[in-house]
Amino acid sequence: MAPTKLDVRGEICPYPMMRTVSALKKLAGDEPTLEVVTDHAPALETIPTQAARLGFRTDIEETGASEWRLMLTRNEVEEEA
Amino acid sequence: MVLAVIAWTVAAVVYVVVHGFDTQFSMFWVFGLAFGFVLQRGRFCFASAFRDIFLLGHARNMKGLLLGLAVGAVGFGIVMSRQVPLTSLGIYPPSANVLPLGIHTALGGLLFGVGMVVAGGCVSGSVYRMGEGYVASWVAFGGVMAGLLLSAHTWNWWWDVHIAAAPRFWLPHWIGHPGALVVTLLALAAAYVLVLLIERRAGMVVPPAPRVHEPTESVLDDLRSTARTLFVHGWPVLPAGAILGGLNVLLFTAQEPWGFTGEVSRWSIGAASLVNLAPPPLAGVESLPGCVLVVSDGLFFNHMFFLVVGMFFGSFAAAVGAGEFKLRVPKRPVRYAQSLGGGVVMGYGSGIGMGCTIGAFFSAIPSLALNGWVFGGFLALGAWIGTHIIQRIE
Repeated sequence: MAPTKLDVRGEICPYPMMRTVSALKKLAGDEPTLEVVTDHAPALETIPTQAARLGFRTDIEETGASEWRLMLTRNEVEEEA
Repeated sequence: MVLAVIAWTVAAVVYVVVHGFDTQFSMFWVFGLAFGFVLQRGRFCFASAFRDIFLLGHARNMKGLLLGLAVGAVGFGIVMSRQVPLTSLGIYPPSANVLPLGIHTALGGLLFGVGMVVAGGCVSGSVYRMGEGYVASWVAFGGVMAGLLLSAHTWNWWWDVHIAAAPRFWLPHWIGHPGALVVTLLALAAAYVLVLLIERRAGMVVPPAPRVHEPTESVLDDLRSTARTLFVHGWPVLPAGAILGGLNVLLFTAQEPWGFTGEVSRWSIGAASLVNLAPPPLAGVESLPGCVLVVSDGLFFNHMFFLVVGMFFGSFAAAVGAGEFKLRVPKRPVRYAQSLGGGVVMGYGSGIGMGCTIGAFFSAIPSLALNGWVFGGFLALGAWIGTHIIQRIE
């Protein structure tokens, strides 16, 4: 299944980060990944922190001139014994 | 790369041409370029410095801002101690931003704080993002111009009722130059500790990903790597803040502190007078330092024009060099309304507060003036309110 995608290109500060956080909160429990496309450089520092606080890690890939794809992946939860 | 070379060539040509007319023009052009370049490279946004503390418990920009204020305070302190060696005489340093303090300071800071968060950037932030290609920042700047014009139409009321009789508080008058500097630095250090505590309480902060170090094999490689660090990669915020503080000291030493909403008001008042919307003569403005409103003098160019346009162009050249220039067009219509409305509120606040996050704050606290702290406190309160507003208009 392709990951859910969120395109926040063109957005003003701080909506790339805010809309990513909302999307992460809405992500279904069995979905491991959210893909975010942004052209807002400051979000490369704010999104990883907010994602980490929600239990996701961030991989950033530069996809073009001032455009980045952020793959936010749910951290594996330790199975409870 | 080619575009960057063209941009810097244009900047150099402008320098040479205006230098022939007036050396002050070329000096302010260079300062403007430098401010714009550093703002863009450091992604130095005053709005997010305040907002992110409330929104995220994240203090990246606030840390740089506090360091810049500290550097500015030391430099301004030294310059002012030479301008006014004897503080007991009750004289003020001529060009420092020691402004009348009153309700207008508080309301100005509050409105500015709300407006900058709603618009997604303060005035300097909007100027450098205009250079990066953010269309919404152009809209916000238009809003600021309209807000400054509105404030000019109500200025005489503010002057008569509040500003004319308001006292000016300059810390060295009370505790001497060394005392004022020490108290200011201690207060900045306390603010730094406070934001560290807020960050710690909010939980982890993920540092920006470390750069991959390409192995270098020659001096040329080393040079290339240094150039990339300066011109392509974003700068960490602490050096950016310190350099902005240092540039502010240089500009103050050369002439006056950094600030430019007065110049922007000159543009909007000048434009308004073309369509018979000019405000009445503004009372008292000639007696005030800082970024107080400026009535149009009928001239097109002055030194401040080159500072503001230089900031825009310096950011544009920096963004082009880093491959970060891109037209960013918001898709949601509400963003245009936000940028315009936030800009108007911000512009009005900077009109009655006699400056923006730069003139009434970043240059006022280093002026060892109480009005800088009051404006800053209300900026924070306004940013807090603004943070609640933007969360309702996702």
